[in-house]
Amino acid sequence: MSLGIRDILNKPRLLPGTSACPGCPENIALKSISMALGENAVFIVVAGCSSIIQGMGPKSTYNYPVLNIAFAAGPAAAAGMAKAFKMRNKDIKPVVWAGDGGTADIGFASLSGAAERNDNILYICVDNEAYMNTGGHRSGSTPFGARTASTPGGKKENKKDLPLIMMAHHIPYVATASVGYLHDLMEKVKKARSIEGFTYIQVLTPDPYGWMFDPSKTAEVGKLAVQTCYWPLIEYENGKLTISQESMHCLDKRTRKPIEEFLKIQGRYKGVSQEVVKGLEEYIEKMWERIKSIYEGKVIL
Amino acid sequence: MISKVISGNEAVALGVKLSRVKVIAIYPITPQTYIIEELAAMRDKGELDAEVIRVESEHSAMAAVYGAASAGVRVYTATASQGLLYMHEMIWWVAGSRIPIVMTVGTRAVGAPWNIWNEHTDFMSERDSGWLMAFASTPQEALDLTIQAFKISEDERVFLPMMVGMDGFILSHTKTRVYIPSQEEVDSFLPSRKQPYVLDPEDPVDIGNMFQPIDYMKLRHSMHLAILNSKEVIREIGKEYEKKVVPVGSYSSLNESYKLDDAEYAIVSMGAWSLDAMQVVDELRNMGVKIGLYRIRYIRPWDEEDIKRKLGDKDGILVFDRSVSFGRGGHLYLELKATLPDVNIKGIVTGLGGVAIGKDVISSLTRKFIEGKTSDEWFYPSEVEKVELRNPRYIK
Ligand code: SF4
Repeated sequence: MSLGIRDILNKPRLLPGTSACPGCPENIALKSISMALGENAVFIVVAGCSSIIQGMGPKSTYNYPVLNIAFAAGPAAAAGMAKAFKMRNKDIKPVVWAGDGGTADIGFASLSGAAERNDNILYICVDNEAYMNTGGHRSGSTPFGARTASTPGGKKENKKDLPLIMMAHHIPYVATASVGYLHDLMEKVKKARSIEGFTYIQVLTPDPYGWMFDPSKTAEVGKLAVQTCYWPLIEYENGKLTISQESMHCLDKRTRKPIEEFLKIQGRYKGVSQEVVKGLEEYIEKMWERIKSIYEGKVIL
Repeated sequence: MISKVISGNEAVALGVKLSRVKVIAIYPITPQTYIIEELAAMRDKGELDAEVIRVESEHSAMAAVYGAASAGVRVYTATASQGLLYMHEMIWWVAGSRIPIVMTVGTRAVGAPWNIWNEHTDFMSERDSGWLMAFASTPQEALDLTIQAFKISEDERVFLPMMVGMDGFILSHTKTRVYIPSQEEVDSFLPSRKQPYVLDPEDPVDIGNMFQPIDYMKLRHSMHLAILNSKEVIREIGKEYEKKVVPVGSYSSLNESYKLDDAEYAIVSMGAWSLDAMQVVDELRNMGVKIGLYRIRYIRPWDEEDIKRKLGDKDGILVFDRSVSFGRGGHLYLELKATLPDVNIKGIVTGLGGVAIGKDVISSLTRKFIEGKTSDEWFYPSEVEKVELRNPRYIK
């Protein structure tokens, strides 16, 4: 599906004056996603930075209908909403907007339930790899070795593989994206919007505050994550996995950029041991082996 | 209108269907499960024009109906016990958003330890959440209150969610004769849905975002006023229901009084055992005791004026509670004491976890009270010495 410039230049969906930090990746993602979605969008915002970014009620910087909701409730609320719009004959596919904590941890049962029922919703997980709105605590999606407020010595466990877990729910569409590649993100959103049923997109949103890098470098860090193959850009549609152009080079280990380039730009990995670097390399290697075997049809999900 | 011998659960399911609900979230928990099974079956047979969502938890059940209601349709769900507690967070969320929703609670004890029988502690634990809370004493009333609840909840002077309680098993599973209104009767009573906030791309609203302290507090105050306003609304709607829908039962007042006018003593109670209490009143009246019954139908709103008017001059009031605030006493007792600080009021907590309380127990406790022989003990039966904890040990 191609995305023409005319498709995205509609009225602004994010009004000026949000309360986001400078360089906020969620702001960037939200702006692009809502432009790609067009007119008939309704958002369900699960507790997180985006509950705050919209500004103080009764005013709002989000230029579309929003239902803010408790942490664990997003997918279920969206499921109810999708049914209500159906009963009212409205062509609206509700969009759940949730962070990685809301997705990997507290909201996981609700996410899995809605996916299993194949409710007609678009679930977007903005993955900044920690509970950034609550002071930068580790979540199930925080990677190995990363320092957070609750893992000052670095996290001991690997990142939860949410995209693969979602694929195993046999939903019609799963994709990953990065704020480093907005065009790719918007195309995936447009596609997910057009597919009936439960669609899931996980966007890597590098956070200047939690990851500790200069706020002008958000997009750059998002790109490095993809170039070093730490973050894969993939799509899974009707049981078939495809690798997006920007990630094709990851299939061959030799063409991957060294992980150090992704790590050295961030404060959360400052001065980590070779062991952590090795651990992350292993993680990347194993992840790509898994992706490859699905891609090549050796493993059927 | 037809009449049928049905259970409380069946009566509620029929009430929901007649109210033309559009989205129903279902999750099983005893003793309400039959309601949602019945609704799912009606939908399957094409008798019910609604979407049924089989959610994965009660938290999600409330979230799902909340999402659907904010998108502009009439919704319903039911729960009990642990399920109600699991929903607790979303119950507050719905009330704070001023979104009309109706739910049934088939009351049941809360663990630990496990216990599936009846008590009212689950229901009472939502007393401060901003929901309107009615409690039925018969399957008929459960049906009537369910239909009325949609209209009350969707009244612009209220715009708050409403839950209707009924005693688990005692009402949910017991079959009695119930008058079922016709669809035309209910349609003439219940107009199409009204609500203050609707999610529509043509008119974007932002529900539930961050509020400044002063705006947050204004909203909380508005909920308080809405609960107060709802008293008049409930009376109005109750009268209209009597006129348009069903000639049995009286809904022109929030609570029910029985032989109270000339009474010196009064029993106060809520739920199914109020009917036993009514018989006790008759029995004691035959013995020459001037006694009456005040049956609480609405815990929220609390009809303070009516309680003062009807009970303020009594020599003694005995309150039967099926729930407890530990170390303080029954909830109804505490509410009555706050309403009538100068009246001789005594409270009994009983029937917890399904302890069978019949007419005879109510009668003997009431007689003891009138004779001035009640001890300071709150609990009946009072057998606490039989709960033996194990010998304590220090843990290394
Ligand atoms: S903490 Fe991160 S995600 Fe949250 S507002 Fe700031 S930059 Fe955005």
